[in-house]
Amino acid sequence: MLYDHPIYRPLGDMFVDVEFGDELHLALNFRVIGLNLSLTKQPIPGVTETVPSNRALMIAYDSSVVRQAALIDALREREEEATKLRRAPSRLVILPFWYNDPWSDECAKAHGAPNNMDYLAEINNTTVDGVIAAHSGTEWWVTSVGFQPGCYQALSLDPAFSVTAPKYPRPRQWTPERILCLAGKITSFYPVRSPGGYQLLGRTPVDLYDPLQRNEVFRDSPVLPIAGERHRYVPIDENAYKEIRQQVERGDYRYDIEEGEYSLDDYLARLDAVQVGVV
Amino acid sequence: MMLEVVSGGPQTTVQDLGRPGYLHTGMPPSGAFDSFSLRVANLLVGNNAGGRYLVGRDPGDAGLEVLLLGCRLQATADHVIAVTGGDLSPTLNDAPLPMWRSILVHPGDMIAFTTPRRGVRAYLAVAGGIDVPPFLGSRATNVRAAVGGIEGRGLKPGDQIQVGTPAKPTSVLVGRSWPEEARPAQGNPWTVRVVLGPQDELFTPESVETFLNVDWKLSPISDRMGCRYIGPKLEFLPRPDYLIEQAGSDPSNIVDDGTPLGGIQVPSGLEPIVMGADVPSFGGYAKIATVISSDIGVVGQGKPGDIVRFRAVSVAEAEEIGLAKEALLTESTVVEV
Repeated sequence: MLYDHPIYRPLGDMFVDVEFGDELHLALNFRVIGLNLSLTKQPIPGVTETVPSNRALMIAYDSSVVRQAALIDALREREEEATKLRRAPSRLVILPFWYNDPWSDECAKAHGAPNNMDYLAEINNTTVDGVIAAHSGTEWWVTSVGFQPGCYQALSLDPAFSVTAPKYPRPRQWTPERILCLAGKITSFYPVRSPGGYQLLGRTPVDLYDPLQRNEVFRDSPVLPIAGERHRYVPIDENAYKEIRQQVERGDYRYDIEEGEYSLDDYLARLDAVQVGVV
Repeated sequence: MMLEVVSGGPQTTVQDLGRPGYLHTGMPPSGAFDSFSLRVANLLVGNNAGGRYLVGRDPGDAGLEVLLLGCRLQATADHVIAVTGGDLSPTLNDAPLPMWRSILVHPGDMIAFTTPRRGVRAYLAVAGGIDVPPFLGSRATNVRAAVGGIEGRGLKPGDQIQVGTPAKPTSVLVGRSWPEEARPAQGNPWTVRVVLGPQDELFTPESVETFLNVDWKLSPISDRMGCRYIGPKLEFLPRPDYLIEQAGSDPSNIVDDGTPLGGIQVPSGLEPIVMGADVPSFGGYAKIATVISSDIGVVGQGKPGDIVRFRAVSVAEAEEIGLAKEALLTESTVVEV
C-alpha cells in the first residue's frame, strides 16, 4: 500500500521514520529518495543523517537542536516535494558477474541445498541460461544500502521480469564474499563472507566495499552502492573473472559508471503496458 | 607512552563515540555501548569527552571497553587513568582500584578486571587518549566488520596500546572524582525505558501489554550488535496477503525498513532483540519499540540472566531525560578530592 500521506513514526529520541507505504514498489521508494534529495539540498537544522530504505526514510536528529515534534512539522512541509518527484538523478553502474560460479555451487552444497541456479531455472520453468538472460537483461534500481557495509537491495526496472524464489528455509551459516543473490522480488549482495538466506546467482570480481579505500571510487566512502542508482549486470566467464580480479587487486580496475537520471513515469507507463499490477 | 596487554579477556576493544554519518552505507556507528560512562572516564582524566553519541560529530578521545573478567594491562610509563561503567572489581597490583576517579599508575603497575559485580562493561580512559589510526573519523572497533581500533579486533596478549600526550600536567589530573548521584543507576532488575513503535501496531494489544509488564531475562546470545531477552511469546495480528507474499511467511516479517540503534526486533515473536552499538542499518522484522537514548548504556550493562523491565515513555519525555543526562557531562560535575 502506498499511503496518501506518509506516516511519521517515532524511533525513540534519536530517530524518526517517514514511512511512505508498507510494500515494495518503485513509486514508493521514489518518494523516499525524493525526501532524501530534498533534505540533502535544503537541510533541516538538527538532522544529522538519513537512511533510505525500501519504503521509509529513517532520519537521525539531535534533540538539543530540534525536538521531534518540530522536526515532523518541518518534514510535513517537504511531503509534496517528495511526492511530486518524477525524475531523479540516478547513475548507472555496470558490474561484471560470473553467473553460476563454482563458489556459489560449493556453498549451496555445503548447506544441503541444490545448485541455486538449477533450482531457480526449475521453479521458474526456464533454463539456467534463461535465468541469466533475464537477470542480466534488466536494469536494477537500488532501493536501499545497508544491513552491512556494501550490502544493498534492488528491484528490477523491467515490469515483465518475473524470476523469483523463496529464501532458504533455514539460513546458511556462511556465504562467500561478493556474491549476487535473489529472493522474492529483490536482488541483493553479500559484500563480505556472512550468513544469509537468499538464492545465490553469481560472483563478481569487483569490490563494492573496500575498507582500505584503495580505488579512487572509494575516496569518499568505503561503500560504492548508493540508494537511487541503477545497476546492470554483465555475464562474464572464468577467464574474464580472473583477469578483472587481478586488476582489482592491483588497484587499476576502472569502474564503469555513467551519470544519468531516471524517470518514474517511464517506469509506470511500462508497468501499465504489461499490466502486472497497479499502484 | 603505552599500556601493554597481558590478557585481553573475552573482549576488550578500543572505543570512542563511534562513526555516525555512514549509516546509509550500512556501516554501523559502533563506539562505546555505554557511551555515558566512557565520556565520564575521559572527563576525569582531562581528555576530550566528545559530543552526543550518534547524533553528535565529535567522537572524543578513545578509551577501552572491557567486557567481563580477565583483562590485564601493564603500564610502561606514568599514566593518569580512570575506570567507570560496570563494576568488574578492577584491581591495581591486586588491591582494589577505585572507580569513577582519576588515579596515577606507574611503570610496571598491573591493572586487572577480576569479577563482574554489577554490569558487564567497564571503561578505562587514559590521559592523552588511546592513539590508533582512525577509520572514517573514529577509532572505534567494529569486530564484525574488522575495522577501527587495533586491526579491527579485540585486544590480545602482547598488544602495545599507544597513548597520546595528556592535555594537562599529571598534578592537576589526579584525584578527580565523579559524584555517586551523577552515576548511571545500576542493578538487577534493570529498568529500560522505551518509546513504542515503529511497528507496535502489528502486535496484538495483549502482546504489547505483555512486553511492558513481564520480567525479561537477558540471553547469553547477546553482544554489541544485539541483546536478546527470554520471556513469553508475543503474538501478531493477521496480515494482508500482499504482505505475506512480499515480506515473508513469518508473521513478524515486514518489508525491510531502517533499524535504529535501540530498536527492538521480535523475530517470530520470540526473544526480543535490542539492537546495540554495532547495529545493522536495516532489517525485515517488526520492531515493537525503541530504547531511549539515555538507556542504551543500561542495555549494554546487562549480564546474561539479569532481569530487565521495559517501561514506555513518550518521545517528549525521552528527549527531556536524554538532555538532562547530557547536561551532567560537564567539568562542573567533577569533584576534586
